[in-house]
Amino acid sequence: MNWLALTSLMPLLLVASISVILLLLLAFIRDHKLTCWITCLGLAMAAFWAFADMGDAPQQVTPLLIMDDFSRLLGGTVLLVSLACGWMSYTYLETADEIREEYYILLSLAALGACVLVASNHFASMFIGLELMSVSLFAMVGYMAHSKQQANMTLEAGVKYMVLSGVSSSFLLFGVALIYAYAGNLNIDLLVAAEGPRLQSGYLVIGSALLLVGVAFKMSWIPFHMWTPDVYQGAPAPVTGFLAGAVKVAVFAFAMRWLMMAQGGYLDLLLLGLTVMAVLSMVVGNLLALRQNNLKRLLGYSSIAHMGYIIVTLAASATLGAAALSTALEAAAIYLITYASMTMLAFAVISQLAAQDRRFESGTLAHYQGLLYQQPLLAGALMLAMLALAGMPLTAGFIGKYYLVLVAVDSQLWLLLSLLVLGSSLGLYYYLRVILVLCKTPVGDSRLTLGASEKLLLTLLVAVTLWLGLYPTPAIQWVQLAIQ
Amino acid sequence: MTYGEELIRHIWPLALFLVMVGGLIVLMLTLPALLGGKRVSRAVNEPYECGIVPVGSTHFRMPIPFYLFAIFFVIFDLEVVFLFAWAVAVKETGWLGFTEALIFILILFAALIYLWRLGALDWRTSRQKLDLRNLDAR
Repeated sequence: MNWLALTSLMPLLLVASISVILLLLLAFIRDHKLTCWITCLGLAMAAFWAFADMGDAPQQVTPLLIMDDFSRLLGGTVLLVSLACGWMSYTYLETADEIREEYYILLSLAALGACVLVASNHFASMFIGLELMSVSLFAMVGYMAHSKQQANMTLEAGVKYMVLSGVSSSFLLFGVALIYAYAGNLNIDLLVAAEGPRLQSGYLVIGSALLLVGVAFKMSWIPFHMWTPDVYQGAPAPVTGFLAGAVKVAVFAFAMRWLMMAQGGYLDLLLLGLTVMAVLSMVVGNLLALRQNNLKRLLGYSSIAHMGYIIVTLAASATLGAAALSTALEAAAIYLITYASMTMLAFAVISQLAAQDRRFESGTLAHYQGLLYQQPLLAGALMLAMLALAGMPLTAGFIGKYYLVLVAVDSQLWLLLSLLVLGSSLGLYYYLRVILVLCKTPVGDSRLTLGASEKLLLTLLVAVTLWLGLYPTPAIQWVQLAIQ
Repeated sequence: MTYGEELIRHIWPLALFLVMVGGLIVLMLTLPALLGGKRVSRAVNEPYECGIVPVGSTHFRMPIPFYLFAIFFVIFDLEVVFLFAWAVAVKETGWLGFTEALIFILILFAALIYLWRLGALDWRTSRQKLDLRNLDAR
């Protein structure tokens, strides 16, 4: 390992060192504000380093990790999402009756796992990254288990997430083992070992299918979505934000590397399964959200639908040649970035509300009635998030959806395109319903107050969501630079 | 030598081992039945588990320090496992391997300091801790 490889790995090393530093700090000093500052500064530095490195030559650091512009772009995105999550957690935990500081260790470990997942081009590092992320998330989802404010739901969510993650990991690991049995090595690029007895290609087919099941659990593609609404509802709001933002980005980044960028024709084997999951996720995800009266569950179903839309890019890259591949990659990366920005905005609002009044944590829509008159800034931000998720022009959501339609038309995926349109119009109904509830006459007259740092966070997230929608050119150019 | 012959040459010790294991089990199960005396009573038919009565209510409280003890054993035992793997190749991996092993040990050491400061290595129950504090106060 040379010096260049080490510096290119710096974002990961920084995030890893945060957790060790915090561990040593917490052994002697317990200070919530200091802990939060160290985490946020470390994550910001790591994200800055990742973005500043863009344009440099790709570095293969040991056989396990590759730091190319793709990992820098999406790794940086994941780090920014984690930063927003750490930031919004501060007020949330400040008002909680629970030990606060250890949360940030778990957060930095989960961010590290997500970054490893994005940067892996080897099945071993993929599994390490995925497990590092998931195991930290078990504890984060069930973090409020001893709290009197919300114990039941959060413990249930934590246990459900742990059991189902374990099941999905075992599928994934068995799939990797079968692919290894076929190929004789663990590289994502399917380099079949020349020597030694080899097993038939049936192993590759079943192995890839099992690996896809593992990925589909994490992406909550229907029919592997059962955990999503329960876990989204029960987990603390900032953690739900991390689940919806960072985890989806990181796992789909791995799916892009595995299915779109790697050699080996995995995508042709799995195309039918992917299409079925896309159809189900787009239609059923939106239908399940229609009558939902709980904002966090609604966002869970909405994320199922959104992750269904993004399969279009996978299907598109299978149909045509190299030009279609680069367009599909660009579309997927832009969709992930826009989706992360608007989801984090929605969950930032929910966690600021829950920090002040724990009734918002359970997320029943009735509590949100008339929020516009009580807290215009929060309600306005939530409205913007809903409009963006619905794909309205002038918001980030429009750019993402525009790219998906573009890719689908280019590759003539008429079935997926028509369902994308149908799903989006179904989605409009329930997103607008939330806005309607926010505008109704308020029930009580509880006043909510916002601190300066929360205002700053919300302003930044609103700015990013609007900026990606109003003037996306720099972001698109950046993504194009990374995809080449 | 064909591939099949090679496979057999490699595998026959394993097959022999399996046969010997099977034979040993059969021997251990049949010999006592043939040689030992037979007595029938209620206590004799109960499964023997270290002299503890094996049946009873399953709703009992487990002291939590046992659990911590097991977890810490697993964590720090695994450290040794990784260090064994490094130890057999210490010359080949050179200074790079040494640095990586050092980082690994230091991270675990940080975890140990954290656990120690947290009081996780103190096996006393909260009742015992209270008694100790009262003793100190006196």
